[in-house]
Amino acid sequence: MNKTQWTPTGEVSGAGLGLRSNHYQHILDSKPDVPWFELLSDNYMSGGGLPIARAEAIRDLYPVTLHGVGMSLGSIDPLNLEYMKRLKLLVDRLEPVYVSDHIAWVSVDGKYTHDLLPLPYTLESKQVVVDRISQAQELLGRQILVENPSSYLAFNFSDMDEQVFLTEVVAESGCGILLDVNNVYVSSMNHGFSAEAYLMGLPKERVKEIHLAGYEQKGSYLFDTHGHRVHQPVWELYQKTLELFGAVPTLVEWDTDVPEFEVLQGEAQKAQFYLDKAR
Amino acid sequence: MGMSLKELQRSFYNSVFRKNKKNDVELNESVEPAMDLESDQLVNIYRESILGGLTEALVQIYPVCAKLVGEVFFSNMVVGYMREYPSGSPDLADYGYDFSNYVATFEPAMELVYLADVATLEWGWHRAFNAEDVSSSEVSALASLTEVPENKQGDICFVLTPSGYLLRSAYPVHKIWNINQTDFAVEKEGDDCVNLNEGPVNLIVWRNSEFGMRIDVLSDDEYVFLEAISEGKSFAEIATLSCAPKLSELLGRCMQTGLLVGFNLTQRNV
Ligand SMILES: [Fe+2]
Repeated sequence: MNKTQWTPTGEVSGAGLGLRSNHYQHILDSKPDVPWFELLSDNYMSGGGLPIARAEAIRDLYPVTLHGVGMSLGSIDPLNLEYMKRLKLLVDRLEPVYVSDHIAWVSVDGKYTHDLLPLPYTLESKQVVVDRISQAQELLGRQILVENPSSYLAFNFSDMDEQVFLTEVVAESGCGILLDVNNVYVSSMNHGFSAEAYLMGLPKERVKEIHLAGYEQKGSYLFDTHGHRVHQPVWELYQKTLELFGAVPTLVEWDTDVPEFEVLQGEAQKAQFYLDKAR
Repeated sequence: MGMSLKELQRSFYNSVFRKNKKNDVELNESVEPAMDLESDQLVNIYRESILGGLTEALVQIYPVCAKLVGEVFFSNMVVGYMREYPSGSPDLADYGYDFSNYVATFEPAMELVYLADVATLEWGWHRAFNAEDVSSSEVSALASLTEVPENKQGDICFVLTPSGYLLRSAYPVHKIWNINQTDFAVEKEGDDCVNLNEGPVNLIVWRNSEFGMRIDVLSDDEYVFLEAISEGKSFAEIATLSCAPKLSELLGRCMQTGLLVGFNLTQRNV
């Protein structure tokens, strides 16, 4: 029997920013007005050196959340216990408000692609994901959040829509949702489904965090690069999201061609403007 | 009924890392053509994303190798590596440890005889940069060395700093590495020249207590001494090696620089 009741560990509010290594020094020197930072857990797995020391210093100044891609929650492989052990050490050290990963598989037969790969939305997949999430929460002793991925293909034998899959996973495992609005938009455009219907299918009380990022148009499809400002249609979908779910803490992600800190801050301020309106 | 999840994931993985960019028939039949693309092309979006991500990770670990051979050559070289050497850890920072082995056997790069050793040096740098901090290793402090009774001194096992990475090369790879750094500046004439015939070199890559990264050249005695310590040899065992005549001098120097961070006492089996 899975434990399906987990109480959140704490709270963040407002529009935070993804912490990137080229901004460590600027943040420590100028202590910018940012409500919280999200750290990529996979950057700190070794547990030593300058990156974790900087992260710890920033953690002393701001609330933080931890976001990763290594759990491989949708893989047929069992959860990697060595990875979970290292993640637990990191969680104990940084005391993040949330710990999150994705609805995707990353590895098979112990071989890692380090990329978020698509699942067929079937009962078999659902059981795999629910089991992995439940075990991860037991091992970490806390609720985790799972994020909806951007996807570029769909399997013709899926027997439910992604939002139904996600909703059932959440109900059966007791985890929360990290709703990536950019990913919803990208997938809805690629696969031709209604982004609004997707949002309306999700359980309101489980949406704990929102992600915003920039995609890229590649020929006939949209690709999630995290290398741009948030695009206008995503801002529009974000406003609808806030109408549905309220002022959910929101994080701006930027991973490739990371610009000056002020550019990121400008994006967060824009998100904050919409959050204030939604209150 | 579609594929089982196990079949699907194995088939997807194999299709991504296969040379001919073709999917298994069953996988192809399970992927709905969309966005004006055929099934093969849709899986190829993921193939490019995966290979691109891994290549990017290797470029970050091996920037000097990439610079020495050029971006296009490096990309071609790593494609073969990624197909033959899968990543076995969820931590991307663990990927690439055996890259120098691949480089050493990579036919088109044979002319660059030092390339594999440059790769080893860059891996050492990467490991040292990310290594555990000294404080987290459980060892007795060097200050308490004087409390070890005389009849136990042979049992002392010194502990190398967790970041210490030792390597030997037939070529001056530390100089090749240095002149290929983006901030390298010629201070005196000839600084930017490397004599490949100047003889073998012993090196240690490590991180000091201020997070300063260092590549230090070691004498043969220092190398033998530190290698024995990294292998967990006791002081009595080290006293039988070629570095024995210099032992107290070596010990003093390595304690002072911070290369040795503590000691343990072994239980000797009599
Ligand atoms: Fe995201």
